[in-house]
Formats: sequence, C-alpha cells, structure tokens
Amino acid sequence: MKALAASWRQFRIVLGKETVDALRDRRTLLRMMMPAVLMGPLVLFMISTLISSLEERAERREILAIGMDHAPTLRNYLERQTYTIKPAPADYEAQLRASRLLSPVLEVDAQFEDDLLHGKPAGVTIVSDSVNQRAQAGAAALRSALEGFQRERSLVAMALRGISPELLKPLDIAERDLASTQARATQLTGMVPMFIIMAVLYGALTAALDSTAGERERGSLEPLLMNPVPPMTLVAGKWGAVTLLGLAVALLSNLSFLSGQVLIRNDELQAMFHFGWIEVLRCFLLELPLACSMSALLMAVAIRTKTFKEAQTSSTLIMTLIGLAPMVTLMNPGAEAPWYFWVPGLGQNALMMLVLKGESLPLAKVLPSVLSGLGLTLLGLSLVAQSMRRAVAQ
Amino acid sequence: MISIQQISKRFRLRGGKSWTKRTAPAHIQAVQAFSMEAPNGRITGLLGPNGAGKTTSLRMLGGLFPPDTGRIEVDGIEVAEQPRAALARMGILGDAHGLYPRLTARENIAYFARLQGMAPDAAQARIEALAELLDLRALLDRRSEGFSQGERMKTALARALVHDPANVVLDEPTNGLDVLATRALREVLRHLHSPAGGSKCIVFSSHIMQEVEQLCDHVIVMNHGRVVAEGSVPELLEQARATRFEDAFVRLAFHSEESHA
Repeated sequence: MKALAASWRQFRIVLGKETVDALRDRRTLLRMMMPAVLMGPLVLFMISTLISSLEERAERREILAIGMDHAPTLRNYLERQTYTIKPAPADYEAQLRASRLLSPVLEVDAQFEDDLLHGKPAGVTIVSDSVNQRAQAGAAALRSALEGFQRERSLVAMALRGISPELLKPLDIAERDLASTQARATQLTGMVPMFIIMAVLYGALTAALDSTAGERERGSLEPLLMNPVPPMTLVAGKWGAVTLLGLAVALLSNLSFLSGQVLIRNDELQAMFHFGWIEVLRCFLLELPLACSMSALLMAVAIRTKTFKEAQTSSTLIMTLIGLAPMVTLMNPGAEAPWYFWVPGLGQNALMMLVLKGESLPLAKVLPSVLSGLGLTLLGLSLVAQSMRRAVAQ
Repeated sequence: MISIQQISKRFRLRGGKSWTKRTAPAHIQAVQAFSMEAPNGRITGLLGPNGAGKTTSLRMLGGLFPPDTGRIEVDGIEVAEQPRAALARMGILGDAHGLYPRLTARENIAYFARLQGMAPDAAQARIEALAELLDLRALLDRRSEGFSQGERMKTALARALVHDPANVVLDEPTNGLDVLATRALREVLRHLHSPAGGSKCIVFSSHIMQEVEQLCDHVIVMNHGRVVAEGSVPELLEQARATRFEDAFVRLAFHSEESHA
C-alpha cells in the first residue's frame, strides 16, 4: 500500500515534468496545433464550396449544345422544361479535357429533325470527359432530360395510334430514400474523423519521441534510471504526458470543426451537418483509447532507436498505417465490418462516423475499440519499460 | 561504504553482421573479477586507460545492469536485490549526464530531488545549499539549453548530490572541464569527504594521473577489466619503483599487461 502511494506520487512527478517540458517546446507545439486548429474550418469551407457550385450548376438548368438549330422540336421540349440552351464554345473538347469547361456538351446531328419526322432514330451525342467530375455529374442530368423527350415523343406517337399510355409504362417506379438528412451529410463530411485521428497522432508524436529517443540522445536517460523509481512508474508518467498532449490536440481539432461550421457556405449542408457540443464530447471520448494506445506504441518504437531523427523514421510506418486506416472504408463504402472496430484508427473512424450520422453507439461497437486500445497500451508500456534498461546497457 | 566483490561482465559484440555468413557471436570481457572496498571518509580513485572497464563497473554499481558474477553492496544493501534502496544511498554522476534543455538548472535538480522522495520545500532548501557549495547561483534560473560544459557538469553534480547521499560516485567528471572548473570540483570533493562535509564515501574514476594523484587517498589501477595494482599514491610509487606517478601508472597498468600476455 505504501509502495503504491510512493509509486503514484512518483508517477505524478514524472507526468508533471514531462508535460512542462513538452509545453515549453513552443515551436513544435505551434507547428502541431496550427494544422489541428485550421483543418476543420478549411475542410468544411472547401467541401461546402464544392457542393454549392455543383448545386448551383444543377439549378441553373443550362444546356450547352452544338447544332441545336437542326432540332427545333428538341429545343421546344427542353425550353418547356425550363432549360436554357446556350451554344457551346468552339474548342469545347479541349476545354472539357482540361477540366476548364464544367458542363457536358450536347451534339445534335444535322439531319435530326428530318430523322425525327420520318420516325427514324435521331442522333444526339453527349460529350463529356470521365475524368472531369463536374461535367460527368452534369451528363447524368442531361441524359435524363433527353430521356424525358424520348418518353414524350413515344407517348404521343402511341396515343395517336389509340394505345393507352399506361401500356407503355408497365412499371410504376417510385423512390424512397431511407438515409436521414444527417446520414446524407456524412457522405460529404466522411473525412472529418480522419483529420481528427491525424490530430491525435501528431499531437502525441513529438512528445513520444522526445521522452524516449530524445532522452537517450541527450544522455539524460541513464541518470534518470539511477533514481529509485520503478521502471514502470517512470514509463507510465512519461506516457501520461504524451497521451495528454495527443488528447489536447485532438480536442482542439474537434473544436475546430465545431467552430468551422460557421464557414459552411451552403445552407442545406449547414442544416445537415450537425456537430454540436454533444458530438464534440462523444468524439473526444471515442478518441481516448486511440490516444492511449498510440502514445504507448510510438514510445515503444522510439525507445529502440538512439536518436530523435532515427525515431522519426521508424515512427513513420505507424503514422501512415493508422492515419490512413480510415481509407479502408473507401474500398467498402457504407457498410462497416465487425472487425473494423478492433483496429485502431479504423475503429475510431467507424465510431465517429456513427456519431456524425447521429446514430446511437451500441456497446458491441464501442467495446472492441476500448479493449484493443487497452491491450495495445499495456503491451506498448511493458515494451518501453523493458527496452529502457536495455537501451542504457548498450 | 561501497563494497564490490569479484564482479565480472561479458558483453556480446555487435556489428559486422553478415546476412550470408553466420559468424559465431564475439564476446568481450569488459570486467573480470573486479573487487573494490571504498570506506566512508575516503576518496577512492579508479585509474585506468580508456576501455579498462571503469565505466562498466560503475554502471553495474548504479544498477543499470547486473554483473554476471559477484556482488555489489552499498552500506550493506545488495544492489541486485534491493536496487532502489541502494540507489537512494548513492549519488551518481555517470558517464552520460545530460540535462533537460528546456528546464532551468533549478528544475533539473528539483526533478531528481522529487524522484528521490524529497518534499518540495526540502528540495528547494537543498538546492540553495548546493548552489552555494558549487557556485551555481547565477545559473539556477536559466534554462540549461545554452550551458557551457562546466556549467552543465556542475548542474549534473548538484543533481547527483541533491538527496545528500552517503556515497558519491563520479565517472570521469573532469572530462571537458577547464582548469578552474577542475580545481573547483576538487575543492568540493575534498570538502565532501572531510568530517565537515559529512565524511562521505567518494569513488572517483579518471584516466588522468595528475587528478588522481592530487585528490585520491586510495588508488585502484585498472586495465583490461582487472585490478592491476592498489594502494595510496606513495605506496604505488614504491611498488613501481618510480619517482613520478605517471611512470608508476604506465609501469603498473601496461607492464603488467605484458606479464599477463
């Protein structure tokens, strides 16, 4: 009991010293915090601007066309659908390819009207570029407008021959979208958790390396170990400070998304993207296991290297793997597999997505991430405690 | 009081690894049956050329790694069995004595004081006293970032002495120090081993004869991990039949090598 109290006291002393030491490294701290603070507003601003421009384009109902003079019937139909028809620029192909023209172009054959009158299929071409995403989006809208024309023509033709229009529509297709408004918003804000996960990692990185490899490089680890402190207490104190830093930067990044909402330049998106205080708190709690385990893991990797620089190189693998883990969801969008929740980074990403979608967090999904976080933390810490002695014995 | 009995340490040599050829691991016998008695109130010098095994022996004394054989006792406490109790009774200024550059000298010293179990007030009072003894006052509240070699050493020494240990172990403390700083250090050590300074047991390692000659009451000459001669400076001179201590050292440390070979 007495030993435990002494250990707890020593833990607090190490924690305090490491925290002060890390906070005094102003330049690193600033370099770490700037991206965390700016990321939220920047990302939200950019996404919302993109969406606004897409919507604006759709609302404008403009069709760029070549040879529309050959097709007065089609022009009449499109204008009745409130489309405005504009002539396309002469070098539209080059412009589309270079993504300078952001709408598809409709090419109308010279004998369009003639073919139509004689009941022959009249030719039109939708010119787009599959790399040019915005033009591609417009192409779908253009195609459905043309299909509307096609439907009207055939209905009229059939009706003239005394056939009920209903025969031509054996299917009555209705659509029902089950996604809630918030779920739809997450399609756009799906990258938010990834940035928060990065913030956790970058917050912990410098302190983790400095308190292990940095300490070896300075030659202060050996005298430190010659104090009557159990190695595990020493490691735990250092780890506590590293985790606190990771969490602090993560919190800043959470808050930056909270305040960044002001910058959303799209009313509908602003109404849909719901990231309030509750969400900040829930995301923060979900990041706890990640911050704990990654701090321990980074320290375990760094203590095996002799210099800060060497440690930076060897920590790159962890940073990349965990930071990019959320990418796995891109390969398999929408559905989350049960194993996701066990993987650090990936699990937190999936859980934070649930928060952003406004869905509940069942224990069955939260518990794996907590357990794997706890396991990795203990593993990392015991590795550090072991390697620390070996490091000075070399 | 520090008592080292028959300790040995063998290291596995690293490097020269080859992927294609498997070579038998090479070993080096760093310390071989080394014994030393360092009573209180005496400055015991450990003299030997580079690579003689001084640092390895002192690091085993500090409990950084255990000896392969033999025992080390500090005030009757065995280091291998109760490392923390033994460490609390020692102040060690090791080969590596890095400071935390972003902390002030005072904070650097206070950190170790607190880890040694001292209360904050007691630690501060002790820092003031040490600042007086080591002439540190001007440095105390400066960050250790820009410290000179001598300033760094003084701070590290204060850090090692902060819990007022009965045993003081210094591994080549004068490396990189100028004449004035060396002289000041010598004065401090003389004071510490005198009854006024607490009759401490001081173990001091060096590869510089003059220092050992001027400071130590008892000298242990080491080479190749073994004790090759032992005694006070006049005794060693007599043993080597030399008039200059340098000649005596060379004769004792290196000629014995020939007889061993």
